[in-house]
Amino acid sequence: MDINLGGIVIIVGNYGSGKTEVAVNLSVHQRLAGKEVRIGDLDLVNPYFRTREARKPLADLGIDVVLPPKQYMHADLPILTPEIAGMIRRPSELTLLDAGGDDVGATVLSALTDHLKGKTPHVLQVVNPFRPFTESIEGCLKIRSEIEAASRLLVTGIVGNANLIDDTTAQDIENGAEFVRDLAEKSGLPLVFITAEKSLMPKIDKERIPCPILTIDRQLVPPWKKAGRFSP
Amino acid sequence: MGKKILMKGNEAIGEAAIRAGCLNYFAYPITPQSEVAEYLVKRMPEVGGVFVQGESEVAVGYMIFGASGAGARVFTTSSSPGVSLMSEAISYIAGAQCPAVFVNIIRGGPGLGGILPSQGDYFQATKGGGHGDYHMLVMAPASVQEAVEMVMLAFPLAEKYRNPVMILGDGLIGQMMEPVEFPDDLRTEPTNKDSWATSGMKSRGSTERNLVKSLYLDPTQLNDHNLNLKAKYDQMKAEEVRYEPYNTDGDYKILIVSFGTMSRVCRTAIDFLKEEGIEVGMIRPQTVFPFPDAPIRDAAVKESCKAVISIEMNMGQMVEDVERCLKGQRPVHWYGKCGGDVPTPEEIMEVIKERL
Repeated sequence: MDINLGGIVIIVGNYGSGKTEVAVNLSVHQRLAGKEVRIGDLDLVNPYFRTREARKPLADLGIDVVLPPKQYMHADLPILTPEIAGMIRRPSELTLLDAGGDDVGATVLSALTDHLKGKTPHVLQVVNPFRPFTESIEGCLKIRSEIEAASRLLVTGIVGNANLIDDTTAQDIENGAEFVRDLAEKSGLPLVFITAEKSLMPKIDKERIPCPILTIDRQLVPPWKKAGRFSP
Repeated sequence: MGKKILMKGNEAIGEAAIRAGCLNYFAYPITPQSEVAEYLVKRMPEVGGVFVQGESEVAVGYMIFGASGAGARVFTTSSSPGVSLMSEAISYIAGAQCPAVFVNIIRGGPGLGGILPSQGDYFQATKGGGHGDYHMLVMAPASVQEAVEMVMLAFPLAEKYRNPVMILGDGLIGQMMEPVEFPDDLRTEPTNKDSWATSGMKSRGSTERNLVKSLYLDPTQLNDHNLNLKAKYDQMKAEEVRYEPYNTDGDYKILIVSFGTMSRVCRTAIDFLKEEGIEVGMIRPQTVFPFPDAPIRDAAVKESCKAVISIEMNMGQMVEDVERCLKGQRPVHWYGKCGGDVPTPEEIMEVIKERL
């Protein structure tokens, strides 16, 4: 089972669900599979730990990272660079848009409605059941409908991102996979993939995982830790 | 302890206050601490609590004063410029001897500065901010888990001393995500609130009026009042000093003093240097007022130790406290940055090597 996504992929989810880490690692995974990849940072609500933190390793792999102008990189201002509209009008093989958290962060997508007209974007909801407000299926469904209302888009698939950062165990991943499988069933949406940090991969019982697994090399780390190195 | 969940520092601070039994939260949004309000606006109604957004931090400071004077457990969160605006109220609250908890998730300064992490409010937190002879009890967490524990401890300490307590975190403490566990709910009431709360003589079965005030026009009375306050700060110095030593068992040549998330960068640098065969010790103040004078002095005067470096995300503030407690017994150096780029472990290793 491998992940194969094309066209416009929009990553949404509740605040702190891990959208950026998923978007960054997904862009690398698809780039290493030979695709032409562009990623746009639409996170207008989070002041730290954004896609822009990983711009160098992504650029080194030939991934085009679209960010607000440099002088506004550390501003807490809702700046949507006009290049994003261009990305949508002329998508590359894979165009990834990393939105901000919750309905508030997804509101920016409604400004792109006109540009998205006639396109069929994948809108993936990232879920981490270890986060507050998405510990239950009801919580995830509530956030989904809030995001759909704010973004004027429909969620088309679920991504499982169960983790407790460094404290994650293989069992957490397996239980998390069961949680998102149930969520996908309840919501009538496909479970597109789940994630697991590289070091956990050998320990995971693959029989219990009903979908592809995206390997995570953690990029959004505090200053005393080293970001993971991407390798084919 | 409950099960582990993954939380941003700001969210965890909000949840910790609820678990400590604080159901009154007044605040005004400012980066990088707005997530506390965003979290509590959802959570407070679930637990029967209250969140009111004030029209400014000046108003919020006095809303806190009012609620505390009435005997309610109350707290606020803000970031540097907002705390400056609250500082007048903090002085009044300390003067009127009311308990309250203030959280400062520091951003770069002075003025509007920037939104990235900083420790530039060390002086403001430990030496005043507002006017007059007062101190807050100030705790500086280095992890999200520790922020939770300190917030939960802050309320009983504020009540024990009838004095404002501050949690001093840099922007990273508010913004980073870490797994946390919450201790079982305390949900207690302040046990000594009859001594200050304007709850009505009848309701507390007393014939004494409680007066919430900081005005003492009589010079003798004002002096006595300040002596009472001083006695409380002296008691804090005797009973509330908290600190964590790191790698201080061996024969280190350099001792680092560092607090908050900066100390975690230093910890990594110390681990890397150990692999190179260089021993470096560290004392991490967990309370910055009261300051761990004696533990730092004892660690610095160890025979192997040749120098002390205070490493902070500011232009050299805590270093003055380190110099004060060492009284010239060892050379004291400072290293820091305050633009928002947190020094890397490699940078700290270089700084240490230059002093070997």
